[in-house]
Amino acid sequence: MQLSNEIITASASAVRHTGSHLFWTTNPTESLRISIRQFGQTTPVLAQETQDGLELIAGHARLAILRELGEPVLVRLVEDADDRDKGLLYITDNATRPMDDGMRLSALQYFRPIIDDKALKADIFPLLGVKPKSKDAKLLLAWLDLPKAWQNLLAKGNIPLAAGTTIARMNDYDRGAVEQLFSGFSWSRSNAVNMLTWLFETGKMHASPVADVMESAGLNDILKQGLSPKDAITRLTTAMKAARYPELSQLQDDFAKAARELTAGTRWRMNQPNNFETSGAELSVQIKNSSQLAKAIKELETMAGMSPWQTMWKLGGQND
Amino acid sequence: MTNPKQLPQHLRKISHVFVDETMQDSIVANRVRERLIGTTQADIPWTVVPPEQDRIEFDQGEEQALYLKEYKGKFLRFCPGTRAYHCCGYRIIHIGENCPMACSYCILQAYFQDRVLKIWANQKDLFSELADGFGADRNTRYRVGTGEFTDSLALEHLTGYSHDLVGFLNDYDNVTLELKSKVVDLTWMNATTRTDRVLPAWSLNAPFINDHEEFDVSTLQERLEAARTCAEAGFRVCLHFDPIIHYPGWREGYAEIIDMIFDYVKPEQIAYMSLGSFRCMPQLTSIIADNFPDTTYIYNEFVPGLDGKARLLRPLRVEQFSFMVDRLRNHGMDKQMYFCMESSEVWNEVFGYAPKDFGGLGKRLMAQAFGDE
Repeated sequence: MQLSNEIITASASAVRHTGSHLFWTTNPTESLRISIRQFGQTTPVLAQETQDGLELIAGHARLAILRELGEPVLVRLVEDADDRDKGLLYITDNATRPMDDGMRLSALQYFRPIIDDKALKADIFPLLGVKPKSKDAKLLLAWLDLPKAWQNLLAKGNIPLAAGTTIARMNDYDRGAVEQLFSGFSWSRSNAVNMLTWLFETGKMHASPVADVMESAGLNDILKQGLSPKDAITRLTTAMKAARYPELSQLQDDFAKAARELTAGTRWRMNQPNNFETSGAELSVQIKNSSQLAKAIKELETMAGMSPWQTMWKLGGQND
Repeated sequence: MTNPKQLPQHLRKISHVFVDETMQDSIVANRVRERLIGTTQADIPWTVVPPEQDRIEFDQGEEQALYLKEYKGKFLRFCPGTRAYHCCGYRIIHIGENCPMACSYCILQAYFQDRVLKIWANQKDLFSELADGFGADRNTRYRVGTGEFTDSLALEHLTGYSHDLVGFLNDYDNVTLELKSKVVDLTWMNATTRTDRVLPAWSLNAPFINDHEEFDVSTLQERLEAARTCAEAGFRVCLHFDPIIHYPGWREGYAEIIDMIFDYVKPEQIAYMSLGSFRCMPQLTSIIADNFPDTTYIYNEFVPGLDGKARLLRPLRVEQFSFMVDRLRNHGMDKQMYFCMESSEVWNEVFGYAPKDFGGLGKRLMAQAFGDE
């Protein structure tokens, strides 16, 4: 494969622009449209001569705008490019575009039937800004084996790359059950990973399908409530955490209740610092002057005689 | 012509022996050669490792390699306990690394991610270091064991290592050696002149855990029969419940094995018994999930402990410990029981006292190991 040094002019409508190597095509941006209108085409597109005429290798947005405008297109010719070369040239020509994980996955989907995983890691990952031995590289390879519907959710930004490991560990039935959680909402990395991990682990622990775990955790009821995405995700994760860690969640609830009763109307805050590995609590107060200090001390004296401490001391010991 | 014998089940995956060039004529190397003769593994290849080669590559799927190595590090070590919990103060005699058996919960999976079973063949160096340490002051007592980075007896059939070590320690009245294992090999017994200075020890678990999470190991019955043999020969034995696993049916399972113990040995024949709940470095969880996909106990309620390891939530641990300690007490066990790496709070909740109440765990176990208590 080589690039010619010659630049030719061609009819924009005569250049074919449907090759699968154009894996990141989107509608042209308004800023590019304004730029071409104002200054014309400053950079040629790449195309290759074929028996059916010119085939676009890179420059889809420029070509689309020039077609709209009915203007000819400046083309730098590529010779003897096979499918691998076409993909590499396309990435190179688009190197300055901000890249997300969906775009990386699209590129890998194109290359995977053409080259083996070793070459994929060595030759393609670096072009996509991914270190071949990194966790992201492993995740992207895992995503390549996931069903198309899930790949589309990644491309839409509804689910983060990091969730791929857990989704890959689920069977088709379990994946089918959890898909509804991600088809309607865009999840943050931590919420998505936590939710999927908790669902998978609870299912494994109880030898139950994930669909049953979702039902018993109340997730299906929450989904029916028509909540905003933010509220829905908050409630879903809270409910699922309680299902995954029932004892810990109960302890935390009991602690929060006792802490509320003890600190009500005061500036004091209470915290359990180590997941009940030790008994007791940490107390803190923020004060700015001596009168606030005196008040805090008085509040603490009052708190010391209250009954919820008895609950507090026992939390984390053996269950009754 | 006689049919070749089979090695014990747990050694049958060994398909290659590597030996450091300097160790080719060592006692251990010669013994391994002799003991492979006449077995179905007599013809496995031997590769000599030149001094300039710092590691060996062996990747043959499920197969294992035995590496007879000249070890350059410290042989006598401290147990890597942490300050956040009470450690038993055990000292380690480092004889090798890795284990041929496969237990889902084993930390060695994280430490050694290959299938190379290493044995330190330079026994002279080991004995020299031990002589310097143990002989420096004969009034200083040592409670030592070899079962930290390997199983004490797993390779004994081929190497005779514990037999040699027991023989060496006959001259050191100030040392008690614990041999901790999940297999049965009592060939070391005839090397000792002091039944009160060797503590044969076996790990025990609920039968369900033994069936589902421990592979290529001796059965619980075989281990307890071996313990009885040792007790009848005058040894006191140690038994260890570590890791205790919280699984559906754990009450019935641990009740069964606890009751079974006393069909074989009497409480007074047990020097001490540890109880430790499953805990692990966080990265071990994913290794277990990969190596043992059917394992589910890792998905219980684990939280970060004070030492950073994942630990079962305290009320669940205390519930299991209380159940087991009550049952063991009903069989006559008392002060021989201790917790491996637990807090004073857990000690107090379960036993009603903490190590500081009896002068410290290490001190008590030292006394028990030497038969003072």
